[in-house]
Amino acid sequence: MIDFVQNTVDGIMFGSSYALLAIGFTIVFGVMRRLNLAFGATIMLGAYAGTWLHVHYQVNVLVIALTTLACTVLAGIYVERLCFRAVRRDAALASMVSSFVIWMQLEEVAVHLLPERTYPFPSLFVAGSFEIGPFLFRAEQITMLLLAVVMVGALHLLLHRTRYGLALRAMSENPQAAGYMGIHTEWVMLCAFALVSLVGGVAGYAILATDEQITPYFGLWATFKGLIAMMLGGMGSLPGAIVGGLVLGMVEAHSQWYLGNEYKDLSAYVLLFAMLVLRPGGFMGQRILSREELAFRRV
Amino acid sequence: MDGYVITVLSNIGMISFIALSAYLLLVTGEISFGQQAYFGLGAYAAGAATAMFGLPIWAGILIGVGAAALVAMVVGALTLRLGGLYFSISTLAFAEMVRLILLTAEVQVEVDGEMVGPDGANGFHDIRWMFERDISLAEFMLIIYCLLALVLIVLALVERSRLGSVFRMLGSDDLLAEMQGINTVRYRILAAGMAGGIAGIGGSLYAHFTTYVEPQFFNVMLGVHALAYGLIGGLGTAFGPLIGVAIDIGFLEAVRFIQGYRMIVFGGLVAVLLIFMPRGILDEDRVHRLKGWFSRRRHAGTRGN
Repeated sequence: MIDFVQNTVDGIMFGSSYALLAIGFTIVFGVMRRLNLAFGATIMLGAYAGTWLHVHYQVNVLVIALTTLACTVLAGIYVERLCFRAVRRDAALASMVSSFVIWMQLEEVAVHLLPERTYPFPSLFVAGSFEIGPFLFRAEQITMLLLAVVMVGALHLLLHRTRYGLALRAMSENPQAAGYMGIHTEWVMLCAFALVSLVGGVAGYAILATDEQITPYFGLWATFKGLIAMMLGGMGSLPGAIVGGLVLGMVEAHSQWYLGNEYKDLSAYVLLFAMLVLRPGGFMGQRILSREELAFRRV
Repeated sequence: MDGYVITVLSNIGMISFIALSAYLLLVTGEISFGQQAYFGLGAYAAGAATAMFGLPIWAGILIGVGAAALVAMVVGALTLRLGGLYFSISTLAFAEMVRLILLTAEVQVEVDGEMVGPDGANGFHDIRWMFERDISLAEFMLIIYCLLALVLIVLALVERSRLGSVFRMLGSDDLLAEMQGINTVRYRILAAGMAGGIAGIGGSLYAHFTTYVEPQFFNVMLGVHALAYGLIGGLGTAFGPLIGVAIDIGFLEAVRFIQGYRMIVFGGLVAVLLIFMPRGILDEDRVHRLKGWFSRRRHAGTRGN
């Protein structure tokens, strides 16, 4: 029983980092209805830029954090310009493949920047752990969970209480109509990408500061974990991103404990596949429209 | 031809199968991140048939194709009704499941005093059909290209038939297709099965060409590359994906000085290409115009005689 609870606690701790990544993903999908495969790679490039500063010039952690965020946002804007703005609006597929090749490109740029396998990443938080009863908690992971909740709250306010949020939601409904209403769609898109990259940069920094190291696999890892957590929670749902992240973390922690290390990823994919087949909207997502409704809408 | 050229050409041929597989689904309007699963299943099934049970290679390839097509149809039946991005992510989840299961699968039998078969993360070694039959790389390359030609002929026949029109219709507007009385789900499952089978051929050949396979090769990068090839080369004709493969493997292998910066150059090139040609080099419009141009020339020729 103690094992079970401790595993759940660990799972929630890991899950909070997945939730942070899923938040970034869910905004991209929810608002733009396009798949940005380069999301993990932009975070990775930003983090590599920060690590590069850390390795070559022993600067303040705050400078490193700001560099990470700034470079992530710049990389995000680069992706938006090249893969989304420039590609015709009806060619969603081209955008996706384009963002994939840019993922590979950014990853190679990052590896040229720092060619070794692993690098230390500076920790911003006060590391440490404390015990409540028989259970062990890590301080930096609780910080991460709080960070996720605060970010979802802030984004919710941004989306539902500001003019910018209104414009963004209008665009997700119908970009063309939003344009007719006088919304500067290109500018809103660009800001949305910068915003998402900022969220991703914060998430990436928090995760890497907890791990205290960075490897070239971070881009792939971030993309996959964020994607799975988002799909589990439901596409486009902000609270769903947190729920999905936590569920993913718990499933991984339990399967690692009870089944073994090699089944950790497998059980996550089995869960995702089962979820998509049985309940494709995820825990908190919208119901998928049936064909009849789609046909009706068109008429 | 030296061994290096033969290896590059054979790789182009084998990867073309998975590119064609992703292309077929793209034509029907589905994006699959998971065709590498069928490539892998084909490789393991065909390898098991020849190395573990001593069957001839044609039986191995048939088993590989059959297994891949069957699994693809079952997965398709489960996931294709979702449509769109949900289907894409579920193919990704399925492919990773297959890869991770193969990483743990240890099924070995004793052949000639040696243990042969999938050995978890160590992969599946000693698929020695080529050595036992004393078949050279060049001869095997011929087999690869004969099968590739066969697949292209079948795809060309499909393209000209009603089935091809239905596939294109599903791709451009499946709601309209359904209103025409077409059972869209059934055709989509058929397309998924065909695509799985084509990927299975590539996998069967790959297992015998390299003599060993490991699950790590069938990761999501292979699947997304396969998708990208079709979109680079063009979705208008089955030759599109082949152009994509040739550009990636052939051109970038040949140009040595960009080694190490390969993805930076390739990524930039493809991103710019997709801005101007969002459905690839040989997209539907260009293929249509090319066909018109060729048939006019032919008619002009006959009149001249």
